[in-house]
Amino acid sequence: MASKRPIRTLFSVASTSVRPSRSIARSCPETSTCAFSTSTASFGPEYETEAAERPRWQQTPVRMVAPFRIRPQPKGPAFKVNEDPRRLDEAYVKMLGPNGDKLLSEEVKWLAITHKSFDHGRRGFNDRLAFLGRRIVSLQTSLALLNSSTPSFLGTGAQQDGYGRAAFQHAALSGLAGLTTEAKDDVLSRSRLAPIAERYGLDKVTRWKPKRADNLQGSGQESVLSTSLYAIIGALALERGGEVANKVTQDKILSPLGFTFA
Amino acid sequence: MKRIRISRCGAQLMGAQAPRRPICPHAAQRQDVAPHHHRIQLRWASSLMAAARKPNEIEIDPAEEAAEESSIDLSEALTASSTAKPPQPPPETLPSPHPSRALKSAKLAALRSRLSLPPRFPLQTLARTLVHPSADPNPHFNNGSMSILGANLLGYYTTEHLLCNYPRLPMSVVFAAQYAYIGPKALATIASEWGIEAAAEPGGEVDPGLLQFKRARSGDEDFPSALKEVKAPWKWNVTTTHKIVSSDEFGSTKARPDPQQLTGQPVPIEEAAQSFVRALIGSLYLHLGSPLVKRFYRDHFLSRHLDLNKLFDFRTPTRDLSRLCAREGFEAPVARLISETGRLSRHPVFVVGVYSGKDKLGEGSGSSLDEARIRAAAAALKGWYLYKPLEVTVPSSLEGEVDTSKWKPNMVDCGEVIV
Repeated sequence: MASKRPIRTLFSVASTSVRPSRSIARSCPETSTCAFSTSTASFGPEYETEAAERPRWQQTPVRMVAPFRIRPQPKGPAFKVNEDPRRLDEAYVKMLGPNGDKLLSEEVKWLAITHKSFDHGRRGFNDRLAFLGRRIVSLQTSLALLNSSTPSFLGTGAQQDGYGRAAFQHAALSGLAGLTTEAKDDVLSRSRLAPIAERYGLDKVTRWKPKRADNLQGSGQESVLSTSLYAIIGALALERGGEVANKVTQDKILSPLGFTFA
Repeated sequence: MKRIRISRCGAQLMGAQAPRRPICPHAAQRQDVAPHHHRIQLRWASSLMAAARKPNEIEIDPAEEAAEESSIDLSEALTASSTAKPPQPPPETLPSPHPSRALKSAKLAALRSRLSLPPRFPLQTLARTLVHPSADPNPHFNNGSMSILGANLLGYYTTEHLLCNYPRLPMSVVFAAQYAYIGPKALATIASEWGIEAAAEPGGEVDPGLLQFKRARSGDEDFPSALKEVKAPWKWNVTTTHKIVSSDEFGSTKARPDPQQLTGQPVPIEEAAQSFVRALIGSLYLHLGSPLVKRFYRDHFLSRHLDLNKLFDFRTPTRDLSRLCAREGFEAPVARLISETGRLSRHPVFVVGVYSGKDKLGEGSGSSLDEARIRAAAAALKGWYLYKPLEVTVPSSLEGEVDTSKWKPNMVDCGEVIV
């Protein structure tokens, strides 16, 4: 194989110049699952077997990377994605408070802001976290709408009811008139959540791949930022519990949208 | 003949009976409880009869007033006649039964005890959960708002149960499992299991314990457009990830109708039953608090058995497995024939195992080599995706809890393999 080696390295150098943001690590990524394999992973002679352990968020798995790119590069400028852990921590501190960067584990911190479009989903993505986060935010919004109904809603409605009926009164049911789907859709629309995410600097750290780097709005940045925001809430719920997630939802998402909590 | 003495009557021998219902604190204001003073009783009866003749006026005969001896009786009579409300309109004119009739309904009381709900849960609220917006458009009398809250609660509890117990489940399977646990058909089944019957036509005269909604007759032309399939105008391919932010908890492609949008429109019984179950959960949360709702959810929803491995549908499991092994750093999967029989007969059986190095990831059998290999790859992928940790603490267990020692952080998986 000695004759093939120079050609292989030539290709690898060429490919690195074409893709400056991709670092081709020649080491075996040791994940926690490798520990359960009874046979040692064997690689061909072209790979250097270093024992360096790179976390999943930092590099795309070695065996999933093709030696060279066949498809043409997309049109438009290249989109630069954040790789600095410190900038990510700053964004978390901005959103979650002074110890915000310590609330989640390192892998989950990166996973929560990684969209499925990044690296073709090879480094993980925040779909499930966003799903859970959206359920939590939706529920907290409903409860906030219930508790924030003005006293005028407390009226029996007998005057508005054409039949002269008086509704059954109970303290627990007092806020129900404020809870409608229109109200919720207004509160939780993507066009209102995306600016909140931008305020916390999530648009600088979210890892995704826009269709056009010069037209992020048209590439769906609002949707991606909303997903990141929901995913952070979901990650907090799974790692820290529902109480923390509810509190963060109320303080960091619903309060900027205009709700007040006791 | 001797007359039977009163002391031998059976009723007197039985002893004092406990009141069937606790005394209502608002009894003094209710129409059907007569005031105790005989003078007020006469006046009350006469004022009622007068009001029946003229619904908007309450006659106070000055001649009768002058005949009274004490001013105290006069003031009592005045308050009694002024608080005596005008009689309710005939029930047939109302869109749904009056809330006061809930206390007299046997069906409602039976439903409450059948669901083992505590007596402090009001029957009037239970009656309200059975009224769909199509029957009664007034939001104070129908279950629209409560069903929104209940849908949120059900979605949250089901999602956390699925994601904590099966951290590696692919997103489409999560959608399908949600639909199986709390989807429209599941909720309709649960409602019928609870013994909910539907009224033929909604109205004020029906029993408050019946599900009330405006029925859609089969073959109807005016099916609500909100429930029809909504064809996506230009977004013909909505990805799974986009469904998470834009669609509902089942990832459904058609727009979900707002409960208040369906006022006055005929709906199928499934829609009304789903609305009832959600509204019941919402009203339980409001009246009884979240610990009881979680227990109710565990008893009625999580107790239902769902075979998650039947929800998978692989297109190219061999390719998926190969990419998964590459991502996780396992050796490349190799399919090996474990055993076979009847190769040249009409019904051969091949048992194939997929191995990564020396570990067998999955095994499958089929009537051809290809089929067996594909089944083995699918079994291997299911073994990965259906991983279940032994002990799990869900996020909602920490809500309102002071003691956080039992909390165990849940596993967060990076996502299903993308080919």
